[in-house]
Amino acid sequence: MNILQIAANNLKRRRMKMLFLTLGLVVGVATVVALVSIVQAMRLELGDRIDEFGANAVIVPRSEGVELRFGGTVVSDVTFDVQELTMADLPKIRESVVAEYINIVSPKLIGAVKADGKNALIVGVEPRQKFTQKPWFSLREQAGVPTGGKVGDLALLDVPGESVILGSSAARYLGKKAGDTLVINGRTFSVFGILNELGAEEDGLIYADLVAVQGLLGRPGQLSMIEVSAWCNFCPIEEVVAGLAAALPNGRVVALRQAAMFRYQTIDQFSAFGFALSGVVLFIAALVVLTTMLSSVNERTREIGIFRAIGFRRVHVMEIIFLEAGIVSALGGLAGYVLGSAVAQVAGPFLAQIQGHIPMRSDLILPAILLSAVLAILASAYPAIKAAQLDPAEALRFI
Amino acid sequence: MAEIMIAMKQLTKAYKSMGDEVQALRGVSLDIEKGESVAVMGQSGSGKSTLLSILGGLNPPTSGSVEVDGIDVYALSQEMRADFRREYLGFVFQQFQLIPYLTALENVMLPLTTIRKSNKEKREIAGSVLCRVGLAGKMNRLPNQLSGGEQERVAIARAIVNEPPVVLADEPTGSLDTKTGDEIMALFQRLNQDGLTVLMVTHNPDNTRYMSRTIIMKDGQLCTDKAELLQLVSAGKR
Repeated sequence: MNILQIAANNLKRRRMKMLFLTLGLVVGVATVVALVSIVQAMRLELGDRIDEFGANAVIVPRSEGVELRFGGTVVSDVTFDVQELTMADLPKIRESVVAEYINIVSPKLIGAVKADGKNALIVGVEPRQKFTQKPWFSLREQAGVPTGGKVGDLALLDVPGESVILGSSAARYLGKKAGDTLVINGRTFSVFGILNELGAEEDGLIYADLVAVQGLLGRPGQLSMIEVSAWCNFCPIEEVVAGLAAALPNGRVVALRQAAMFRYQTIDQFSAFGFALSGVVLFIAALVVLTTMLSSVNERTREIGIFRAIGFRRVHVMEIIFLEAGIVSALGGLAGYVLGSAVAQVAGPFLAQIQGHIPMRSDLILPAILLSAVLAILASAYPAIKAAQLDPAEALRFI
Repeated sequence: MAEIMIAMKQLTKAYKSMGDEVQALRGVSLDIEKGESVAVMGQSGSGKSTLLSILGGLNPPTSGSVEVDGIDVYALSQEMRADFRREYLGFVFQQFQLIPYLTALENVMLPLTTIRKSNKEKREIAGSVLCRVGLAGKMNRLPNQLSGGEQERVAIARAIVNEPPVVLADEPTGSLDTKTGDEIMALFQRLNQDGLTVLMVTHNPDNTRYMSRTIIMKDGQLCTDKAELLQLVSAGKR
């Protein structure tokens, strides 16, 4: 007979009460495990999604510039020693030290053209890269699709080389609709589609195949800028910028901090929500442990009196209570981990609108058991002290 | 001259009950020799159980002192008193007070829980004590699977398993029928003959037959009225 056996035997005797106590811990731990798993999955997925939404770094040709100011007004910029970005720079990005973090590389060439005799701005893009990077671009009209018919997804469509896509303002300005033809700098293009209005300067642009635009502008192989989307879950954007700058000495790499900040802010909000909710559930679980252990101590007043009378020290009585809490918490922690992981796997994708699979987090087993143990032991401290301080004479009703 | 095992000097105990001060003990002095068996009798509220609890190191007196085997019990710290109880005293409580979720053997092993011995040794010791009180075949039964007499025997076995020099018993036959009560008293008598000092609170005058001395308490004091004492003792012998 030892103190552990006394604790274990008492738990066996009070099965229902201990089951209730264990359930309290299971719910608390399961909530935390589920939330941590879901929030972590959301962090990854949200991060990836935001990284897909637009570039988080832009590379432009390096140049030295002087801004001329007069009376607080910029009169003009003088640039000199302008270097060039070319198609040959693209592989350098994929070979840079940060290559593993690079998701989408979207080169662009921008220039002025005559379209049906009118001045217009044209942007040469690699359509798939461009529209995957900016999924908010969508077609309002598509050649060959009747009005009201279902247009295709720009990121998935094959845009022929001898065709253009018009921004909504550009289409209005040029008086074109999908399927029309447009003569640009003497070359005839068909209008593949018209974009939905974005409310931005992109509405006034003509989009065409990069190589075709390089030909139109007489700048074969040249680029105006390269937009880069990096996976920033595993490396900060600053590291990506430094890596790209080292790979492209002829380019100036600018981080789009706003996108990065937004990304972290959103994830932090999700995490804060998760932790706050976990805190509330854990507090309730602690109350369940506290009240159950207190009532257990009250029910066992005489029993504790007997222990004290036959020579148990106060510390032995506390040991019994803490061991009971410890056994229950270990079981509760383990069961809570299993339940929490299951909830995350089954309900997580619906609750958090996550498309991917939420992985089982084996690294959470030990923290789950520890969390449960700390919770149970903290919540049992008062009942244990109360039990140890019981007056044995009073407990045995000697007085 | 016989060795004094228990020496109580001028014990008083006062406590509050419903706002009033109650004097449970009013200057009790008593010496009990080693190997003596003493019955403490008296009406309810006379202070018998209070005396027992003070003697057992469970209830500090308001004034006075208790020495057991030369140890001033209330000069010890609370935790030292717990150790003292384990080594020097065996308790037999009213209505057995066995732990319901432990078997007879485990109940008897309880006082051995906190001492450094292997589980096997503890089992052997507890088993041999259960045999001594006549429960060899019922060691693995839970208290609710035992009769009242058997439960009392388990309680006695638990009290003596640590081989304490003194056993304190509070109404050990109070909830037993006459025949079983006599068997239990015979067991106490045998233990006393083996050298154990026994102090027993009892309402039953019959039990005094098995004890070497009877004292009577009245209103928190030892009764010195010889006529009353004789009347009680003779009632026990009838």
